[in-house]
Amino acid sequence: MNIAHVDELDAIALPDGFVWRPVRRRFGIKAFGVNAYTPGESRQVVESHTEDQLEHEEIYLVLRGRVRFTVGDDDHELGPGQLVFVRDPQLRRGAVALTDDAAVLALGGKPGRPHEISAWETMFAAVPYAQADDWEEAIRIHEEGLAERPDDPALLYNLACMESRGGRHRDALLHLRRAVELEPKWAEHAVKDSDFDAIRDEQGFPAG
Amino acid sequence: MRVRFAAAIAVRSDSLDGYELLSLDEIEPVFLHRQQAKLLSLRRLLGYRAAGVNAWTGGKGERVVPPHEEDSGNEELYVVVRGRAAFTVGDETADAPAGTLVHVPPQTHRAAIADEEGTIVLAVGGTPGRAFEVHGWDDWAIADALRREGRPDDGRAVLTAAMEAERDSWALAYNTACWESLGGNADAAFELLRRALRLDEAEVRKWAKDDADLDPLRNDSRWRELFG
Repeated sequence: MNIAHVDELDAIALPDGFVWRPVRRRFGIKAFGVNAYTPGESRQVVESHTEDQLEHEEIYLVLRGRVRFTVGDDDHELGPGQLVFVRDPQLRRGAVALTDDAAVLALGGKPGRPHEISAWETMFAAVPYAQADDWEEAIRIHEEGLAERPDDPALLYNLACMESRGGRHRDALLHLRRAVELEPKWAEHAVKDSDFDAIRDEQGFPAG
Repeated sequence: MRVRFAAAIAVRSDSLDGYELLSLDEIEPVFLHRQQAKLLSLRRLLGYRAAGVNAWTGGKGERVVPPHEEDSGNEELYVVVRGRAAFTVGDETADAPAGTLVHVPPQTHRAAIADEEGTIVLAVGGTPGRAFEVHGWDDWAIADALRREGRPDDGRAVLTAAMEAERDSWALAYNTACWESLGGNADAAFELLRRALRLDEAEVRKWAKDDADLDPLRNDSRWRELFG
């Protein structure tokens, strides 16, 4: 049986201080986005963000503990079995845990469209390996993500970062150039990004 | 902002400012006759359109996932929100306390029985590679419950509102036809079947062939006109 308790899911501490508990990745779900979150050092439990890029409708359901959600300018303290449904993707939303045991389930997708696996999941999954300088595993995770989304500029850019840090300079340059070709704004990021220090002087490095 | 801790049967209206709050505890459970289980009608209340999402609730020994298979390619995730449940998936069984997630692929038999009072299990479903479509099984089931309570007009209002919200859904028109058929309203049922056929003839013909809900219509001359 494909079964796991929320506490048995991977616990990936992210730089913003919350802990991502990958649900969709764990079970290989393809039809909808679903993840869980628990608090990390900052007490944040849902990252403050909008869905204006992905245009997802999102439901945040408190599974355990008490959580203070901020949606737009409003604050709401919710407990187990209570949820926030954010229909408007432009609306900024986030949450902090008020108790140590808090856990939030997030469900999301774009109405009227088949679900696409979000690029951020790949990037988040690679964070622990990048933090441990395990560039080969971080690269492998990105390659896996690119198999699903081969022309995702953000994924290509991130892969290039990992390859540059991991000493695969030729691959890094190729993937960075492809990211910029698909979305020119990444050239401006690359100019300032220390991940590319090792390849900045290479011929063909994108001009900002 | 509209804080709505309200009854499940009410037909929802749009929130004005982009979000809503809801407590599962405040949703009135609806006992579904066919499933023999109590539904918390989450998708309908929220108007969620990105995936199928509902919840089941029950006391010790009661169904919190009705025994079934998803034959439409749906994969489903069940989350024990409160209490405890005994899951059966295929030939396997598992104890699932609150916080447990169970993923079930299509065409796999699944069921769960509550092991504690007040158990709540969230069910999320969708078909990989396809946009979620409202088929209205939940609208039908609630309308069925209302008719069994002697409130057929309220049941019809639920289905009519659902069809208004999803005008292109062949399945909602079809399910409403089934509901009218079972209620003995052949005229309404045939009108709805014609509407459903206009929206997706192939699907309606496929489902209508063996659907017992439509048995009351099969000897009517209009059935032969529509289905030959």
